[in-house]
Amino acid sequence: MPVLRGGAFVFAYIFWRWRLSGVHQAGDFSSFDLHSPIEDSSPNMLAMRIREAESVVTPGLSKVAAVVGVGHTDWRQDYAAVREGKVKYDSIGLGSLAFVRALEDAGLTRDDVDGLIVGPTTPYERMGEVLGIDAKWGGQADAMLGVIQACMAIKSGLAEVVALVYGNNQRSGKVNYGGSNAAGGASFLSYVYHAPWGFTSQGALYAMMFRRYMEETGLTSAELGEVAVAQRIGASLNPNALMQQRITVEDYLASEFICEPLHIFDYCLINDGGVALIITSAERARKAANPVMIHGVGRYDLNTGATSLEPRLTEYYLPAQQKVAEQVFNMAGVGPKDMDTLQVYDSFSCHIPLALEGYGYCPAGGAGKFLREEGVALGRRLPVNTSGGHLSESYMQGWAHQVEAVRQVRGICGERQVPDCRFVHYSSDVAGKAVSIIYGR
Amino acid sequence: MGKTQPIKSIDDVRMWESIEREQLELMACCNCHKFRYPPAPICAECLCMETEWKPVSGKGKVVSWVVFHRKYFDDFPPPYNAMTVRLEEGPLIVTNLTGPEPEGSWIGREVKLEYVVHDGRKQHAARIVD
Repeated sequence: MPVLRGGAFVFAYIFWRWRLSGVHQAGDFSSFDLHSPIEDSSPNMLAMRIREAESVVTPGLSKVAAVVGVGHTDWRQDYAAVREGKVKYDSIGLGSLAFVRALEDAGLTRDDVDGLIVGPTTPYERMGEVLGIDAKWGGQADAMLGVIQACMAIKSGLAEVVALVYGNNQRSGKVNYGGSNAAGGASFLSYVYHAPWGFTSQGALYAMMFRRYMEETGLTSAELGEVAVAQRIGASLNPNALMQQRITVEDYLASEFICEPLHIFDYCLINDGGVALIITSAERARKAANPVMIHGVGRYDLNTGATSLEPRLTEYYLPAQQKVAEQVFNMAGVGPKDMDTLQVYDSFSCHIPLALEGYGYCPAGGAGKFLREEGVALGRRLPVNTSGGHLSESYMQGWAHQVEAVRQVRGICGERQVPDCRFVHYSSDVAGKAVSIIYGR
Repeated sequence: MGKTQPIKSIDDVRMWESIEREQLELMACCNCHKFRYPPAPICAECLCMETEWKPVSGKGKVVSWVVFHRKYFDDFPPPYNAMTVRLEEGPLIVTNLTGPEPEGSWIGREVKLEYVVHDGRKQHAARIVD
């Protein structure tokens, strides 16, 4: 048996536990094969190693913080309000309503909050001003980086109770994600640079990417359609979802193209709404009614070649997801086989097959087969976006996915509850900026 | 809705001038000779800030393509295509297919750049030549 001490031991232990949990068979992480498994796995040695590993591991941001409160606006009402011309709140108002509800859910008062993260769609200062929060620590971030930053702030002692607030009136404000005033172009040059050739919209960028992926792997339109069909099942059991009527693969294939090969059912639902989360230290969370622990986080950004579309078209961003997989699963000490449900940032349905491959839920190139034979609907192999996600619940830019993750771990999702849900994996890969968070009990 | 408009940062101007002359030139690194597309002030490979401009042959292969069915611009009524081409010199560019559309997949087809007038400005498009 190799002599392993300290960090090296912990490293090997985690890889070994991964292999035990079956990820080796399911995944395609060739790097893991470089680490030989520990040969002696007798029960006594195992117990000793676990004790030793647990006493040595300082796993980054694992179990540093927990979500103790979630809140959001009534997305169906928000949708109806725009249609009926009776909009009541702007982005600041939508965020405010979500904050009040999250605070109530957490059983805390506004004065308990000492950290504030505000989503990118509202100014930080104004949001803090209307909520009356003078923060010890704060900033602006999207949903996934916001959660990670809250953990960092709590771990470092800069804050103890962080409120994350997001409000977006993108529907009533007529925000365009393509065309001559495409949103996001200030952050991502690829969103606007190719416009002289009519190439615009984030959907078109994914259509270009996925056309090539489909040809390389043989994934069919019908197999991609399984994503929209599966998520609509979750939405049909979600009272907050905008689109609750189930669809079939035939409906999907008969639907209009927006940017071919992507159909309208592959696109997210742009809607007004707000979401808020309350995150606090693991210690303080013990006093909360229903805390959900953050077991691991990971991030890797592919920036090189981004505007020329190189990492998008030639590697489908998979290297970023694979790096995040190593980081997040190692930090959490669990693997893909331990995940009870996967929540994926789904501006477009094709994010799902790419995440299945990137995180080792299926072999590279095997997502089409997985979607068809294993399934991502409730009750099948790996339920994905159980709320309906961006495609069928509401496009809340990843914020509502955190709420669904928390509720699944809490076990309060009613008819769409994943049985005995212990771990939820959240993943996003917005323009090759891959992020993961693992939530659990 | 509005019309399409090229992004012309300080580094892009010379490229658009070369398109106007119907001979696409791309920026390259003086040190490692790697192309920079879009043009950039520094080489992402070696961090050299010296630049040179090199004409490209206009030959390349289709990497992927899409067809727009929704209208985003006044000067691009749908349906219309956009495609990504890998130039033989290495860079990936987005352009439009001009001329007859092939049956089946476009990926891997050989193309050659041409120059077309679009809404009063010259820009490149690509024709299948294999």
